Amino acid sequence: MREDSSTIVMGIDVAGAAGKADEGFIDPFGGTFAMTKGLIQEFGTSRVLDTPISETGFVGAGVGAAAAGLRPLVDMMFVGFIGVCGDQIFNNMAKMHYMFGGKVKLPITIQAQTAASGGNAAQHSETLYSIFAHFPGLKCVVPSDPYSAKGLQIAAMKDDDPVVIFQSTRLMGVNFDQHVPEEAYELPIGKSRIVKTGDDVTLIGIGTTTRTCIQAAESLAKQGYQAEVVDLLSVSPIDEETILSSISKTRKVVIVDEDYPKCSVASELSALSAEKAFDLLDAPPVRVTAPHASIPYSSVLEQLHFPSVETVTKACREILG
Amino acid sequence: MVSTSVRALTYAQAVNEAFHQEFERDPSVILMGEDVAGGAGRSEFEDAWGGVFKLTGGLIGKFGPERVRDTPISENGFVGAAVGAAATGLRPIADLMFVGFVGVCGDQIFNNMSKMHYMFGGKVKLPLTVITSTGAGVGSAAQHSETLYSIFVHFPGLKCVAPSNPYNAKGLHAAAIRDDDPVIVFNNKQLMGGVGGGIHVPEDSYVFPIGKADRPKEGTDITLIGISYTTYQCLKAAEILEQKGFSAEVIDLLSLSPLDEDAVLSSVKKTRNVIIVDEDYPMCSMASELSAIIAEQAFDFLDSPPIRLNAPHASVPYSPVLEAEYIPSPEKIAQAALSILE
Repeated sequence: MREDSSTIVMGIDVAGAAGKADEGFIDPFGGTFAMTKGLIQEFGTSRVLDTPISETGFVGAGVGAAAAGLRPLVDMMFVGFIGVCGDQIFNNMAKMHYMFGGKVKLPITIQAQTAASGGNAAQHSETLYSIFAHFPGLKCVVPSDPYSAKGLQIAAMKDDDPVVIFQSTRLMGVNFDQHVPEEAYELPIGKSRIVKTGDDVTLIGIGTTTRTCIQAAESLAKQGYQAEVVDLLSVSPIDEETILSSISKTRKVVIVDEDYPKCSVASELSALSAEKAFDLLDAPPVRVTAPHASIPYSSVLEQLHFPSVETVTKACREILG
Repeated sequence: MVSTSVRALTYAQAVNEAFHQEFERDPSVILMGEDVAGGAGRSEFEDAWGGVFKLTGGLIGKFGPERVRDTPISENGFVGAAVGAAATGLRPIADLMFVGFVGVCGDQIFNNMSKMHYMFGGKVKLPLTVITSTGAGVGSAAQHSETLYSIFVHFPGLKCVAPSNPYNAKGLHAAAIRDDDPVIVFNNKQLMGGVGGGIHVPEDSYVFPIGKADRPKEGTDITLIGISYTTYQCLKAAEILEQKGFSAEVIDLLSLSPLDEDAVLSSVKKTRNVIIVDEDYPMCSMASELSAIIAEQAFDFLDSPPIRLNAPHASVPYSPVLEAEYIPSPEKIAQAALSILE
């Protein structure tokens, strides 16, 4: 926001207590996860807009602002709220550049929070990046740690196309013990990275599940197997080259995704692996995903809903022998 | 069978007949949507439309405005009203004109319709049917030509079917209405416009089971999987392949969620080669799901990698020239098959 005065922020509680500045309530929230904290104090209310609960309104305003020359960052809070702003995202944001024959750019960033972080139940715990990745015209990224989160956030905000960032609520409070440079830097959208090298099996993680994969790889190492972990980072476009070159080395792949399984990013990766690395695979691709069921409120069931280190390790052992 | 014994209806007539029969069979069946009658509130124009594709014609005259409700352009309202009506004992049909309108009623479908049964611990049933129209090929441009069944299939709690001809369209609509769970029926515009007619449709009421695929053509060399309109593209491709000396089996998926894995896998295990033809966008699509399932569960049976033929990862063009290139054609399917078989 310091670098580019056309950058604005909109969303529910991105500052908090909208309209109550007179009563001393300035920035009490800074976003549900305090990601936008401090912005309203530095950049003021004309660039940091606390909105009513009105996703279709403020996401639409973000699309219009982007078409008219600003660079909006729009926080839609939980990804399940797509149901009340799908028209703006799927019909306007994704299609305007195409429908206007390339004459309009939409440098807009949407951020949405995904996954269950403890008892938010079926409607506030979804992942859903798969349905966004389905639509042409949207770039979709899923950071997996503080370093990638900062770099992808900046890359998204500098991109001239609409980018949707999916931030796992389960990663927000984790201490990664990781160096994050103070200066601005970008991670390229469309690139995955290898976070652990290995020769025996490729584990592909997305957001939260990258962490699960790394822990599973540690468990496998103790059992004598070297897993390579690919951190997908970008779900649209997909970095086919990194995935296929890893599979060509390990000849086995396990895809770990906490989204619903059907027509998912995991389906897409499994299909791509089979179609483009068929002769290289020693075993069929394996998907470890959430079940095809709504997310339970019960904390016991909620834990079982998501892929765990144990289920990933077990899936690997089945193809590793 | 002599030709006079064939009772040929168009797709729209067959669906319309199913609606009339279900309305007669069960007084709790109601219908809501934009222009399902047409000329709302103006008695001189009653039933002026009968739905954009004439699926619902004649219902208001026979069953009255209490059960056939023309709504304003208010998808979030009438789809939500249908969810509530289903929860409280009716069997509503909601007509979501074009599937791209899911953007304005996604909350009702994804958050309420698909989850209520689960969230209320099974204590509420939602015997609700949503019908919607899909597909390119009629010059409706990017926002009114999408297919999108893939994003509905992604959600647990929704059954999704895509009929391909007047016979299964009649049976699947009847089955959807009688089902105690929410069912979305995806009706392809080109089929309603006449493609795939000429088959026998029994006058008596019947249901086609949800969750079952069909096999309109047997073959031994390769499996072509079609969904709704692309089943015809597959059948035409099979004819081209026949002329080249290859025998293609065509699977008509019909049910997208749940998926008839047995039908798909047993065909692929026999032919050992497969092409999935899907008009939806390719990423995270039905075609991805099928390709993944086949690779994961029939890996050792395959002689060649699964092939997906989708629309490109691009919006649907308005230009008729580009639009014609957009949907996978029989020639492209045959060419892809020959690249494996020859």
